[in-house]
Amino acid sequence: MTARHYYEVRGWLLASPYLLYTLVFFAVPLVWALQLAGMDWNLIAPQRTWVGFGNLVEALHSPRIWAAFVNTYKFLVLFLPLVLALSVGIALLVNGLPRGGHWFTVLFFLPYLSSGVATSLVIQGLIAVNAPLNRWLVSAFGFSPPWLESPGWATVVIVVLIAWKFSGYYALVYLAALRSLPRELWEAAALDVPSAWQRFWRVTWPNLYPATFTVTVLATGLMFSVFTEPYVLTQGGPQLATHTWQLEIYYQAFANFRAGYASAVALLNAVATFAGVAVVRWLMNRWGRAHGFEP
Amino acid sequence: MVFWSAPNPTQEKFWRTMAQEYMKDHPGVQVDVSPMPESPSSEAGILTALASGTKLTASENVFVGFGAQLVKSQAIVPLDTLQGYSDLIRSRKAEQLVAGWKFPDGHQYILPLYSNAMLYAWRMDILKQLGYQEPPRTYGEILALGQKLKSKYPDKYVLARKVLVDPNSWWERWFDFFTLYDAASDGAPFLNGTEVVADRAAVTKVMSFYKELDDKGYLLTKDATDPFETGLAVWNVVGPWTLPYWKEKYPELKVGDNVVLTPPPVPDDFPAGKTPKTFADSKGVVIYRNASPAEQQAAWEFIKWVLSDPRHDLTWLEMTGLPPARGDLTTDPVFRQYLAQNPGLAQYAGAVPTGVPPIQNEKFADLYTLMGERLMVPVLTGRKSPALAFDDMKAAWAEVLKR
Repeated sequence: MTARHYYEVRGWLLASPYLLYTLVFFAVPLVWALQLAGMDWNLIAPQRTWVGFGNLVEALHSPRIWAAFVNTYKFLVLFLPLVLALSVGIALLVNGLPRGGHWFTVLFFLPYLSSGVATSLVIQGLIAVNAPLNRWLVSAFGFSPPWLESPGWATVVIVVLIAWKFSGYYALVYLAALRSLPRELWEAAALDVPSAWQRFWRVTWPNLYPATFTVTVLATGLMFSVFTEPYVLTQGGPQLATHTWQLEIYYQAFANFRAGYASAVALLNAVATFAGVAVVRWLMNRWGRAHGFEP
Repeated sequence: MVFWSAPNPTQEKFWRTMAQEYMKDHPGVQVDVSPMPESPSSEAGILTALASGTKLTASENVFVGFGAQLVKSQAIVPLDTLQGYSDLIRSRKAEQLVAGWKFPDGHQYILPLYSNAMLYAWRMDILKQLGYQEPPRTYGEILALGQKLKSKYPDKYVLARKVLVDPNSWWERWFDFFTLYDAASDGAPFLNGTEVVADRAAVTKVMSFYKELDDKGYLLTKDATDPFETGLAVWNVVGPWTLPYWKEKYPELKVGDNVVLTPPPVPDDFPAGKTPKTFADSKGVVIYRNASPAEQQAAWEFIKWVLSDPRHDLTWLEMTGLPPARGDLTTDPVFRQYLAQNPGLAQYAGAVPTGVPPIQNEKFADLYTLMGERLMVPVLTGRKSPALAFDDMKAAWAEVLKR
């Protein structure tokens, strides 16, 4: 065995656990999903009806699918500025703390570790119409918001809840970025730009572009996979205002037992996610180039 | 054999108790009881088990709609072909009950186990403060009550039911639509094979009633924690499973005292003195085809042993609080004493003969979801009239049914 051959074999051997994992848990299910997307089948009936592109055509004509598509971007438009502001804020806050302050980072990270179902149930209890919060709002202001009953409010509740959950996680990305910036940059900025607010916008924020790029791409992908919060709080309502791709896949597969159709929706979701993330990356790269960052 | 009980601790306890007794009497037979998966739904749990080849011989908790899907998938055994079936039905005085469970091919695949004929609960303590001695019987009387309630208690509602506008919780259509429809139409069928044969006038009356409740502010469709129990609302549709919940969490609610159970309300022109029909949330036992013939036979022997003795039904009633699907529940002396001590349950037992089972179609989830999307939500959000929304729903159902 030549040295080159030996290294090749060793490389394959070292990579084999991951390759095997990918084959079993990704490649095989993907091929199966592609096959299933062309069938009308509930997974147990002896006859499998081949419908070709029928499921995809039906999905493309479904108002539920279009609601999921539009809602993803509606969530993204609200979620992105909110989560960026929160995560940068947390990162700056923690970065300015003296030694031992990293424990606060852990506290901000805790919502990310908590169960989405549990936090959603807590929120549901807090904003119930006969809960103390609404009673107080009614007694103090004469009204309480229709938290989960109006399309606008329901969207806001869900977006805020997801932003609260993920801001601590994204803050870690910003914290790492802040700590990687050279000290000289701050020293020079302190001499040239007296106002802290201006220093943030002129120096800190532009230099956080790589972190912003990462967080934006992650957040975009996340918006295509929202499930738990609307599932618990609104079930996709009111009037499909919080309906998402994952909810539709779940309802079709596990409530309507249409595994074939659910697979077709999952494939559409994958294409929409890929396209959505690609567009966001392209926009971020464009913005980066325009401001002197080479991706 | 492997028997799956419903994902409800009391039902699981009953089947475990029965299995232990049976195995004592029948050495050499092994009956393993475990609760079926609850999430995402018990139906999905069963389908997943069948699809993945999980060992499963028989189970309870199957309603006729899901049964239709299992029949279409050739997943369950026709029980009427098994030895002793007719004798078992006769011993339970259930000949009339099982008639509604017959499938289009003429076979019986599900053995009815319990029948929850839905009733409505009224907060009589609040109604008395409004001058009522009896709860309202008709839609008009309920609307009149709403007016009195709002003038005395502006923050209270006649009905608080958020799921009315949630199409995805498809099973809620049984309770909020079919309970009233079965009463208004005197149990007229809604679906015949793949044709919608619903009583249009009854549908329109039910939906107009809901719309009027909503328009006048008597209906709350927001999230509220236990609105009936806390007195935020004075009326609610309830099943017998609610009684133990009240006993544990709201012991101050006493059926026959500050809470009164009644049959569903009816349109104003419904004949007085006639007992209205109601929706029956009924579920039964099935045997799965993927089990071996020996296991199927063992399961059938076990099921026959459990369900042919009325004392076992009494144990079921005591443990679960769900009325067994028997024709002699209110007449057999075995149950008399227990029902006398539990007046709420006695009312449910008495309502069993008026119960109408769910529609028998394998696309039930799709159909009920569409009922929410095309009928309930458009009417309650004021987007469509009841008649127009019903026509839309019928058209959508036709599309699904011909698929």
